Amino acid sequence: MRELRRRVGVVVNGSLVAGLEMKLDEWYSVEDIRAGKFVVIEGEKSRFFCMVIDVRLDATNPQVLADPPSEEDELIRQVLHGSATYGTVCLRPLLMMDKDEVVAGHGDPHLVKTIPVHFSVVCEAEEEDVNQVFGSEDMGTQFFHIGRPLDMETPICIDLESFVERSNGIFGKTGTGKTFLTRLVLSGLIHSNRAVNLIYDMHSEYGWQATQEAGNGRGSFVKGLKQLFGSRVSIFTLDPESARRRGIQSDFNVKIPYNQITVEDIASLSEELNLNPTAVESAYLIVNRFGREWLSELLKQDPKDIKDFAEHVGAHPESISALHRKLKRLEKFDFLQERVSEDTVYKILEFIDKGVHIVLEFGQQSSFLCYMLVSNILTRRLHDQYVMKTERFLSTGKPQDKPKQLIITIEEAHKFLNPTAARQTIFGTIAREMRKYFVSLLIVDQRPSSIDDEVLSQVGTRITSLLSDEKDINAVLTGVSNANWLRSVLASLDSKQQALLMGHAVPMPVVIRTRDYDHVFYSAMGAVEGEALAQKAQSNIADLFGDR
Amino acid sequence: MEETEIGEVIGSSNTEFIAESSLLHNPPPFGSFIKVDGREPIYAVVINAYTHSLEPNRLAIAYHRSEQELRDEQPQIFELLKTKFEAVIIGHEQDGTIRHRLPPQPPRLHSFVHTCSPIEVRRLTSQLQFFRFLLTVEKAPREELIAGVIRAAYAVRDGERSFLVHAGKELVRLIGDDYEMLSSILHRIQD
Repeated sequence: MRELRRRVGVVVNGSLVAGLEMKLDEWYSVEDIRAGKFVVIEGEKSRFFCMVIDVRLDATNPQVLADPPSEEDELIRQVLHGSATYGTVCLRPLLMMDKDEVVAGHGDPHLVKTIPVHFSVVCEAEEEDVNQVFGSEDMGTQFFHIGRPLDMETPICIDLESFVERSNGIFGKTGTGKTFLTRLVLSGLIHSNRAVNLIYDMHSEYGWQATQEAGNGRGSFVKGLKQLFGSRVSIFTLDPESARRRGIQSDFNVKIPYNQITVEDIASLSEELNLNPTAVESAYLIVNRFGREWLSELLKQDPKDIKDFAEHVGAHPESISALHRKLKRLEKFDFLQERVSEDTVYKILEFIDKGVHIVLEFGQQSSFLCYMLVSNILTRRLHDQYVMKTERFLSTGKPQDKPKQLIITIEEAHKFLNPTAARQTIFGTIAREMRKYFVSLLIVDQRPSSIDDEVLSQVGTRITSLLSDEKDINAVLTGVSNANWLRSVLASLDSKQQALLMGHAVPMPVVIRTRDYDHVFYSAMGAVEGEALAQKAQSNIADLFGDR
Repeated sequence: MEETEIGEVIGSSNTEFIAESSLLHNPPPFGSFIKVDGREPIYAVVINAYTHSLEPNRLAIAYHRSEQELRDEQPQIFELLKTKFEAVIIGHEQDGTIRHRLPPQPPRLHSFVHTCSPIEVRRLTSQLQFFRFLLTVEKAPREELIAGVIRAAYAVRDGERSFLVHAGKELVRLIGDDYEMLSSILHRIQD
């Protein structure tokens, strides 16, 4: 196998902390070396897996640079190339593996604790290296093929088993394929059945079809999760009208009674509703008087009667009047009702217990106010239920009582997880207490710098497409040790279909070209379409009614 | 068939030798490859050549005639002139292989000197470590000498350009710190 490897250069310098330097072989063009490329160093006793982080042009003699050969001096250029002038590639060793273990074909790569000897040969990584490090789909359903290295065709897999254990993040500037990546990851999770997903789908793009923004077939429709996984995914909607217009059969229309809205829910929306702290305090006074019915009692009041009402609850009339005025906005949401026939949270739990994944579409109700209000109310109650379930499981210890691992996907996460909100909203709690209660988050966001540091540091796996703002890059690298070198990699990603994977679910950071979300993917996920679908229908008919 | 000799060794040391040319005014070209006959032939590169009077205290004088007129009128003066050339040793043959190092003994006096055949030049220049010997030469401009040697080796290679690049890279290793010399040699060997 080793003879097949293509040599890239030799190690000439470096340290464990600062990384290695490699002199590029003269027959290898510096332009073929990309930041993020995966290479393997054959040391004396170990094999090292490294990532290219920087490429530099060097010269043995500064005089050459002061008097560069002219364009006609073809020979001089050829002579100098690779000898007096050469490329230096900075490598970051990430994992190492004993050579004996490599030969024996067992053993896992572990973190680097040393560096290879001088002049160790650096080669391009081969398929077997990638599989050794990242696993392959043949090794079990826990491995999900998410993309390929920049210059190879070997699939790179994430370990879903580790992935679902913690909260995860998908970050990237707008238009870099966050939605697409999220859809890919969700498909993997649903396909492997490692966790049940609840997706707060702000722009209604996960459940049913959505338009493709890049890659082959740009502008065409791609399948949503419901189309791929059929009955294993159900669509809940806040806006049945919009669902109908788009020809979607929703499984449940979400209605929320006023008495499920608590002051905390309103408080976390203070920015959106423009509430001041006094308003929140006044709201508590109303709760003291009316309990859970506080909101409907308040909204019922005629503006003329506010003064009496304020006196009745013992609050300042102006403050109550302002609160009343501002909360009136909530009345225009059709899904908020006085009484509802079926409780959404119980319905969600019922589906989750059956292992059915839920996409909650917001339809036309895609304002932040609505998105945050609904996701807060539902998640807070879900979390309470999950805490109870977990406690029951801990007391009985029966495997059947073990709650199903739940992953909640939220978009525009910085609205929920900014330093102020993270302490108030339930999402901050979930992000922090992690897997203790079998609930974790999949945070989708374009502005990671606005997310609370404490939350970010708890994010297990980060999938990051291009970020250009220095603050955002710093934020994404929060909690990653020794991460400076990843900065250049992150800033050099293409704006489409490229992402940096790092964290819990991958043994080492790696840059990938994300997997195409196309017909090949659909069939890998088990979806049947086109002619195959017609055939399947025929055979189902034959099974049901016999051949005619 | 043994080629006719081009000269005879008249002074030698471990690193270089002097030979008298068989033909007046016709020494081997500057920078060309020559060999000294012997049980184990010695290879060298011509670094210098000169013609002078046989007697040390009698200088040649100008006659203001063409060479042909002189040969017709005073043929004896040509008998009193000798052409000599100097060469720096770059290797020798041992058990049929070329060694790019100095021979254990200097060439014997009165040994015959031949030009190297193209095949021998190719064998000799398959490795270029001998450039190092040429860099120690003080009797000739080194840039010219090395460029001459590379051109001579290139001449037997049918325009195999990769040889020039290979030779250039060898030079970078040796004189990489002297970019001026390097580029002046490279300019001289470009076609």
